[in-house]
Amino acid sequence: MNIAFSMLSESGSAIDRLQGLGSAKDQLSDPDYWGSVGILTITGILVVFLILAILIFFFWLMGTIFKAIDKSKVEKKSASIEAEKAKLAAEPVEQAAPVEEEEDVDDDEEIVAVISAAIAAYAEAEGTAYTIKSISKHKNAHARSAWSMAGLSDNMRQF
Amino acid sequence: MEIFQSTITGLIDTSGFTGLGDIRCIIMILLSFVLFYLAIVRQYEPLLMLPIAFGMLLTNLPLTGLYHPELWDPATNPYFAPTYVDAGLGGQIYMSIFMPETSLDYGKVLHEGGLLDMLYLGVKLQIYPPLIFLGIGSMTDFGPLIANPKSFLLGAAAQGGIFFTFLGACLLNFFDLSGIGFSGFTLKEAASTAIIGGADGPTAIYLTSKLAPQLLGSIAVAAYSYMALVPVIQPPIMKALTTEKERAVKMGQLREVSKIEKVVFPIAVTVIVSLIVPSAAPLVGILMFGNLMKESGVCDRLVKTAQNELMNIITIFLGITVGATAVADNFLSWKTIFIIVLGLIAFCVGTACGVLLGKLMYIISGKKINPLIGSAGVSAVPMAARVSQKVGAQTNPSNFLLMHAMGPNVAGVIGSAVAAGVLLSVLG
Repeated sequence: MNIAFSMLSESGSAIDRLQGLGSAKDQLSDPDYWGSVGILTITGILVVFLILAILIFFFWLMGTIFKAIDKSKVEKKSASIEAEKAKLAAEPVEQAAPVEEEEDVDDDEEIVAVISAAIAAYAEAEGTAYTIKSISKHKNAHARSAWSMAGLSDNMRQF
Repeated sequence: MEIFQSTITGLIDTSGFTGLGDIRCIIMILLSFVLFYLAIVRQYEPLLMLPIAFGMLLTNLPLTGLYHPELWDPATNPYFAPTYVDAGLGGQIYMSIFMPETSLDYGKVLHEGGLLDMLYLGVKLQIYPPLIFLGIGSMTDFGPLIANPKSFLLGAAAQGGIFFTFLGACLLNFFDLSGIGFSGFTLKEAASTAIIGGADGPTAIYLTSKLAPQLLGSIAVAAYSYMALVPVIQPPIMKALTTEKERAVKMGQLREVSKIEKVVFPIAVTVIVSLIVPSAAPLVGILMFGNLMKESGVCDRLVKTAQNELMNIITIFLGITVGATAVADNFLSWKTIFIIVLGLIAFCVGTACGVLLGKLMYIISGKKINPLIGSAGVSAVPMAARVSQKVGAQTNPSNFLLMHAMGPNVAGVIGSAVAAGVLLSVLG
């Protein structure tokens, strides 16, 4: 940064002299013209990069600190939830409700009914018939749902 | 009968028709009609293009007296500072000393100026561009930039267009074009022309009003025209510099940014930028002030005013007065034509620099960064980010780059303001 500013200050006096010349033709005839233009161009882009690099470092540091704070908060929260669970498990439960881990969507009759109805409505409009063999979740857990994709596409259409 | 005749003669003499003899005024009026077409039919940045076009029309209609270019020229309106000199024996003599540094007589502007002269004071005294930045700041979400600070680099790279064009404008002087009536660009004029590459209207007006006010009309029209043409200018450059594989890269979701980070951001940017380049403070400082009002969540009424009423009022004043500076003497020259050409070069080079750095980041990041977001570094918020989104979606319809491109886009606003500050600190 100091180098950039010292280059600028060195060329500064030449630039001041050039500015005093007024017309472009007079400025061009000055022996320092191209040197000053070159230094101003290089130093200008360098200073812009340096300032934005300082901002990158600052906000990277800030982001790292805040991510660490968030992480410790999440860890604390999960630790307290686990402690709560352990406490509940230690207590005798007389009638524990059966918990079903549903991996296959086929088991959820409500969802199957909704999807079947949507496909039936579509088939009726199209004049064809479909047979639903299986309904399963998308392999990629992080992928957007069809509804989410449709919504995003709709919002982005104007762009 | 004689009275009637003299009244009619007097009316004819004072009507604008007598001043229409100058063909250049008629050309300028016709040019304003072209700008009306661009603003109303083609909708090129209509919020500013329409007031600019109307200002251009008003100022070129003869004898309206709304704007007086001679009042804004130090050669025709010099300032003489009143000074009292000790004459001995306890007496003082009043003297008027010519002040070349602050040589514009604002008193004469206030006494003799028309409506647009009064409004132009806001441009000349650098009031409007920072106030526009206040509105922009209160509407901008810097979240994507805070979530991915590397975006700052793309915002800086896209400013390459400014400095490349500055060099180009100076190189133009190397050719002797005095035969066609082109006297060349002075350093100040070259810098004002180059700032078009920042794709930021208020910044361009701010810098030009300080360095080369005689070119304000040409530069504002060129800057806003190219900003409106971003969806036409950028995609071919983006496609030419990237492969289909690069354009198809899907970027990971940005992390959520906390409120504290969003509040710290404007304060930190103001302090850092103002300490390094104080001349950028009027733009960056006020931009960040607007953003702090928004992010703090405690100034809802002020934010509403900054986003709407204040922004709209200033936009009207800025547009019509910038248009008024486009008088035939300044506008109908080779400089305007070269400004239009160099402005386009500045835009193209800025876009290319952003995309090329994006490509470099694509390689360094292990193909995780889509180079298309680099082109958004040329400010023009949010148009440039929309273009990145659109070109990305053309390659892969399920790709959503908009929020990723908003990072470099808002970084470009800061970058162009910093670049203007650098040019101002050296040439101002």
